[in-house]
Amino acid sequence: MSMDQCHSTVGHPKTPAAKLRAAAHTQVGVTGRAYWRGLDDAADTPEFRDWLEREFPAGASMISGETRRTFLKLMGASVALAGAATLPGCRRPDHKILPYSRDVPEEIIPGKSLYYATSMPLPGGGAEGLLIETHEGRPTKVEGNPLHPTNRGKSSLWSQAAILELYDPDRLKDPVYAPKGADVARSWQDFTLWSKEHFASFAVSQGQGLVFLAERRSSPTLNVMRSRIEERYPRARWFFYDPAGDDAAIEGSTLAFGKPMREVIKLENANVIVTFDRDLLHNDCGGNALPNARGFGARRRVVTANDTMNRLYAVESAWTVTGSKADHRIRLSPSQVGVFAVALAKELLGQGLTGAGRLADVLGRANAGGAAIDAKFVSAIAKDLLANRGKSFLAAGPAQSPEIHALVHAMNASLGNVGSTVSYRPMSAPDSMLAADAIAGATEELSSGRCQTIVCIGVNPVYDAPGATRFADAFAKAKERIVCSVGNNETVAAATWQVPMAHALESWGDTESADGTLSPIQPMIAPLFAAKSELELLGIFAGDDNVDGYEIVRNVYRSRGPAAAGFDAWWRRALHNGVFIAGEAPAAPAPGTADRVSTSMGNWRAPAAASSDKLEVVFTIGNVGDGRFANCGWLQEIPDPLSKICWDNAAMVSPATAEKLGIQQTDPTDKKQKGRMIRLEANGASINIAAWAVPGIADNTVVVPLGYGRTVCGSVGTGVGFNAYPISGGRNRRIAMNASVQRAGEGPGWYEISTTQSHGSMEGRAIVRESDMPAWAAFAADPFKGMTEEAKKHLQVDSYGQKRDLNFAERLGELAHTPANVNAYDNPQRGTKAAVPLANPHTANAESSETGTPPDFATSPQWGMSIDLNLCTGCNVCTVACQAENNIPVVGKIEVNKGRELHWIRIDRYFTGHDRHDPSPEVAHQPVACVHCENAPCETVCPVNATVHGPEGMNYMVYNRCIGTRYCANNCPYKVRRFNFFDYGVKKFNGDFIGAGAMDTVGAKPANVNLIPPRLRQKLDEITKLQMNPDVTVRSRGVMEKCSYCVQRVNEARIEVKLKNMGGIPDGMFQSACQQACPTDAIVFGDISDTSTAYTDADGTTRTGSRVLNMRQSGRTYSLLGFLNTRPRTTYMLAVRNPNPELVSAARKGAWDHPFEHGHDDGAAHASGGHAALMFDSTKADQDAGYRLSLSVLGAHA
Amino acid sequence: MSAIHPDEITAGRLDGSYKPDRPIAMDPATGDGTLIDDPSKRPPLVLNNRSFHDITEIVCGYCEQRPGGWWLPVFGLVSTLAGVGTLMIIYLLVTGVGVWGLNNQVDWAWDITNFVFWIGIGHAGTLISAILCLLKQKWRTSINRAAEAMTIFAVVCAGTYPGIHVGRVWMIWMVFPIPNANAIWPNFRSPLLWDVFAVSTYFTVSLLFWYMGMIPDFATLRDRAVLRLKNASGPTVVPFIQLRQDTLRAWIYGLLSMGWRFSTRHWQNYEKAYIMLAGVSTPLVLSVHSIVSFDFATSILPGWHTTIFPPYFVAGAIFGGFAMVLGLMIPARELYPNMKDLITLRHLENMAKIILVTGSMVGFAYFMEFFIAWYSGNQYESDVFVYNRMMPPFLAEMFGLSRGAPYWWAYWIMISCNVISPQVFWMKRFRTSPLAIFIVSMAVTVGMWFERFVIIVTSLHRAFLPGEWGMFFPTAVDIITFIGTIGIFITLFLLFLRFLPAFAMSEIKNVLPQANPHPPHADHH
Repeated sequence: MSMDQCHSTVGHPKTPAAKLRAAAHTQVGVTGRAYWRGLDDAADTPEFRDWLEREFPAGASMISGETRRTFLKLMGASVALAGAATLPGCRRPDHKILPYSRDVPEEIIPGKSLYYATSMPLPGGGAEGLLIETHEGRPTKVEGNPLHPTNRGKSSLWSQAAILELYDPDRLKDPVYAPKGADVARSWQDFTLWSKEHFASFAVSQGQGLVFLAERRSSPTLNVMRSRIEERYPRARWFFYDPAGDDAAIEGSTLAFGKPMREVIKLENANVIVTFDRDLLHNDCGGNALPNARGFGARRRVVTANDTMNRLYAVESAWTVTGSKADHRIRLSPSQVGVFAVALAKELLGQGLTGAGRLADVLGRANAGGAAIDAKFVSAIAKDLLANRGKSFLAAGPAQSPEIHALVHAMNASLGNVGSTVSYRPMSAPDSMLAADAIAGATEELSSGRCQTIVCIGVNPVYDAPGATRFADAFAKAKERIVCSVGNNETVAAATWQVPMAHALESWGDTESADGTLSPIQPMIAPLFAAKSELELLGIFAGDDNVDGYEIVRNVYRSRGPAAAGFDAWWRRALHNGVFIAGEAPAAPAPGTADRVSTSMGNWRAPAAASSDKLEVVFTIGNVGDGRFANCGWLQEIPDPLSKICWDNAAMVSPATAEKLGIQQTDPTDKKQKGRMIRLEANGASINIAAWAVPGIADNTVVVPLGYGRTVCGSVGTGVGFNAYPISGGRNRRIAMNASVQRAGEGPGWYEISTTQSHGSMEGRAIVRESDMPAWAAFAADPFKGMTEEAKKHLQVDSYGQKRDLNFAERLGELAHTPANVNAYDNPQRGTKAAVPLANPHTANAESSETGTPPDFATSPQWGMSIDLNLCTGCNVCTVACQAENNIPVVGKIEVNKGRELHWIRIDRYFTGHDRHDPSPEVAHQPVACVHCENAPCETVCPVNATVHGPEGMNYMVYNRCIGTRYCANNCPYKVRRFNFFDYGVKKFNGDFIGAGAMDTVGAKPANVNLIPPRLRQKLDEITKLQMNPDVTVRSRGVMEKCSYCVQRVNEARIEVKLKNMGGIPDGMFQSACQQACPTDAIVFGDISDTSTAYTDADGTTRTGSRVLNMRQSGRTYSLLGFLNTRPRTTYMLAVRNPNPELVSAARKGAWDHPFEHGHDDGAAHASGGHAALMFDSTKADQDAGYRLSLSVLGAHA
Repeated sequence: MSAIHPDEITAGRLDGSYKPDRPIAMDPATGDGTLIDDPSKRPPLVLNNRSFHDITEIVCGYCEQRPGGWWLPVFGLVSTLAGVGTLMIIYLLVTGVGVWGLNNQVDWAWDITNFVFWIGIGHAGTLISAILCLLKQKWRTSINRAAEAMTIFAVVCAGTYPGIHVGRVWMIWMVFPIPNANAIWPNFRSPLLWDVFAVSTYFTVSLLFWYMGMIPDFATLRDRAVLRLKNASGPTVVPFIQLRQDTLRAWIYGLLSMGWRFSTRHWQNYEKAYIMLAGVSTPLVLSVHSIVSFDFATSILPGWHTTIFPPYFVAGAIFGGFAMVLGLMIPARELYPNMKDLITLRHLENMAKIILVTGSMVGFAYFMEFFIAWYSGNQYESDVFVYNRMMPPFLAEMFGLSRGAPYWWAYWIMISCNVISPQVFWMKRFRTSPLAIFIVSMAVTVGMWFERFVIIVTSLHRAFLPGEWGMFFPTAVDIITFIGTIGIFITLFLLFLRFLPAFAMSEIKNVLPQANPHPPHADHH
């Protein structure tokens, strides 16, 4: 936690006390975390050697030239072995532990976590810079590295889940030689000897017949190793493959710039953003999503009426997270999205955009119209873009053709956006190899028989090659098939040599992120299964005798870092910070873009619109990526942000298309919700898949997430969902045209789907509150504009005659209708919504049990959270981060189907539109976790006092006091309490039976291992337990659990502050796990009583008070279900949309002046959706009649 | 009360002119002779001019003689159900509450439904034995013992559910206020804790009341066994050892009768204690179900948070309890010889009237919930009643509403069974027909179960946040456990009929005409 644990921060102080002093002076990091820097010298102290010799007499010789790896290897392995030793025993296990009793490595304090920087490559290029929390040599939690330009402290779903991937018990463990199906386990020695001999023969033939099929990822060190191999085997063929890669972007940039370029996007500079089928904020190819979300969020953080907001237009076919945040979302099939882009380009030129050269002529001839394109939108967007020249950004997604990508580049260039909102970096040759070319080339080598030995590194082509290539058959023709992989997969199963590869958290390496930043990958633990890293494997293939990943990386950077003298310090600093070299300023693309694009656009013909017999299929990336994360239970259980389907993918269509094709799913109130099995034909192949209708998808479009339907994977991922790769193919693998759908002829007609949310309408309730930007601005100018005195009085004085001051968001909810709750008794905790300024804000808060008095909410700290619904994109990262931090078990498909998912923070997704048949609804996301009510309904009803209030305003859940009456959950209006119905935490969850056979419609019979008494069930693998956060209890069955506001982090900070005698806990010293992960900073956690902190906001304003306090004091803040007088500590901030005034209905515009009026019964008022008052007031009229009657009977002021 | 006077029947018996087997001719208009509309005439409480001895013979005969051929098969069936239900409970305990269909949206379902259902069943017994006793309703004497027994058995079934529905059964002792070094007490604000006290008090007092009432009858059974032993008559338990059944009876009933010697002092103390226990029990009739209703009423959940609940629950409990008494006594009356003499049509009619009254009270409460939902202007409240309970989806579709209630059928079963079906008792023809009463009482029993299901599940499954709406579906374990508790209940009841005095002999004797030798018209002096 603290930097004083990191001995190398400030030179080499001699004594611990001196170090502490030195550290206290220099480190005032915001997060107060220790960053890893290199343990070599620490491990090399004479004391440590002494200690090792005593502890490991036999192993002492092993640690000459020790590195931190060696040390960690010993530590990690002994922990693992201690666990593994207990596995087979049927009597009380004999635990061997390695106590830190004396001569402890000085940076390790048992029980205290250490943070080390590393990075992780992302599928398809790009990388994330991470900070890994480790406990006693055991990585437990991934966080974003605040110093890394990509992450800046944030992280993605996939990097969060990396930790579970690391401890996956299904990983490959030993090299296996399986030439004729019979698997023979071999040692690494066998493999190295064999490969030495084998590759020696290629050295003679210069690599004739040798094919490398490797993952497409950017890493300078990998490139060095590859070129070494190329030197040795010049005739070997290299193919770089990314099954779900954005080929169209590479081709499109080649068309536009003459060479492949990668976009470096700065959304924070964009006033107007237009996306064409591109998920900028969540699943953006090339690792741009995190910076994009950050930049997008920076322009949505509306605090005052003067703040501006960007405007996002999404033209898309599938639902993306980006589309769900759009101010205007235009729903079109993929081909028509392209037509829309062309129409927009024409309109831009028509409206006077210059600098497009010949493109104007070409586009003038292009036929970009058709019934689907709404000219009103095209013209309004064009106008908006022209008004924001140089401050706009257009983006095309993977489902769009290269021509459209090129056109979008040209539009960006002509609008002057290059250099401001977007710039370009050239791509290296491996990065720019098209996936389609790579797989076609490799298949050609294989099927022609030229290839004798194929080496697959980190790829799984047997599973994810297009069906038409028949890769699996071709693969079998190679004599030797060496497959290096972290986890088990289909290609491994078809290999002759199955070679376990080290996980990114176990190996040395480096990465290059989208903006060109080079970051180290350093091991957090010695390889758990003695696997070798990709670099080391390449070293073996290159015929090196002694391969050491550390040395390989270090040698590569010797030439890039400073001269020899300063290198060691530079190296340590780089490892500590997690950044070798920051991204260079991107090169401007070569001029002449418009001309080149005019050539490519010359060939463009408007495609025919999709119809129900010529459907268009969009292949999206689901939560499990391209399939590589399929064995990760966390990711499988995370619901799709829009459809809320988990543990499966489905062919998603619009309700209208489903009706037309007769493939609607069953009613959501059925016991088992089932999708119709369909036969989806495209690219000359067909798959059987379940259909699922989701409002908002373009008509005649089928959306299929990739990465499911793995057949060889592991206990979790095998058989989950449907493999859509066989029907992908062609020039662009992310789209298929002319597809057709029939109900599946054979097999079961229905397939069970588990969703985490069955109801998508807010039912007129003020749950997620939304308004439009002009309404917000008008309110700030005059809260009572155009109101009669009577109406004004009604707002200022409630029915009981009590004065009140409702803010913007509160006036959009129930409080404007109901009288404020009046407590018959004083609140003993006398909490107030606005924090009271305190004489001494850090007065110790007396525990109620000690003094007999209730805790006083006016003392500090008082924890609270603010969730800005304007920033939440619904990306689910908070959920996974929370799951990782709090040891939340995965429960499996059957349990989710029963409604027993255990996530402490969930994201409710609501469709809003004028009615439930609205084909183009807007979407609202709302993360909900325990809101820590000051008047918590759960606390009064628990018979055993298992859930109680803390003096700092937290609602504690005392697990070992809980007997599991579940009354608290029934009385929780937010339904955030989660019951551990079985021993989910410590016994094998039904993930073991998740896949085929889990549900009765899939396999022969249902098998839910949870129905087996726990004592008869298998225990959790010991290796899985290593992931657990030791600061958080693993809950047993029969216990209620819920969000704790990361109380373990609060306590860690509290101890730290006490040790350093710092007074109070400074704002931002620590973050809750969800806050830490949130890419847009929608979640802010902190002390709501802290009025003294001063901080500088993202927009440069200096504000006093903690961040969370400032959020709570915003006029956008409201308490969810606040009329219940629960006084939640987590408050929400109303979402604001920024629609184009030209594109909204008159009624919606009218509501900008009177946002709180309701009762418009005409459909037009509702058609535009989004307007809050319209969303939940339609049913009020008749209820108000009874309410008025009751008030008059009571004699109250009405 | 206990003075026994010779009367003409006793005299007739002594001289041999009395023929008990020959029914006395009755006016068919008065049914079995008890349905007399003339208020000046007091209908007989026991038919066929039974003597004191006849009463003893009839009631003791149920314990001492083999029951009819139906008994063993029925007992075999219900005890098997009880056994399977117990196995389900054991399975639940070793595996986890997840074997039921509960989930994060609906955390209580059949468990608490069954708990409230059984607790409600238990109410008739206490009402009959306590309140009707204090009100000197003589007709209670022939049904009070069985009703009290039912109370005990119903509370046994009811008590099972809170015990097993918690996640960590082995920690359930923490609900009791046991002094401990950590000074951790149960939460006295929680209605679940009040439940613990209310139900355990109720069970204890009911058990005492029931047991105390049986002491004189145990003594009678003991004495009869001893007399037969003296005559060396009666079957043996096992032929080889000369252990007679009567030896066991003498021992067991002897122990249970606690040395009762029918002395006047005993009777005097007994009567006093009986009245005092009746006094103690009377508030319990109101308190237990009021407190059970607090489990819901004190919550903030729309559909639960209702001030009408305490009286509504008490009325409903009496309603359901009487239905269960009728549901058990009407078949027993057919199956046991001479029982119709003790439980007359008049008894049945009286109970049918109580069902009509309490059923209408419950119906009123159902209506009031809708009124208050409208009157409060609270959208969440009205949504529960309209969209969670009442509105069938097909009608919602017709009216263009956004949604219907998935559990509408449960609501309408409740309304038709609880509100509509008892209305037939406005017609004398139905409230004097044992078959009609039996059908209605069964319907009411079903309806009362659904009432609890409707309150619990339909309120929970769609609460405040639509994003977290869900459904509840019972699993096989849910269903078999409930059937198992029905098995436990009927098993215990059959054992009760077989081995314990099913009627309060002394009290019945007290209401015989011969117990009061003065003719009614002679009272005016």
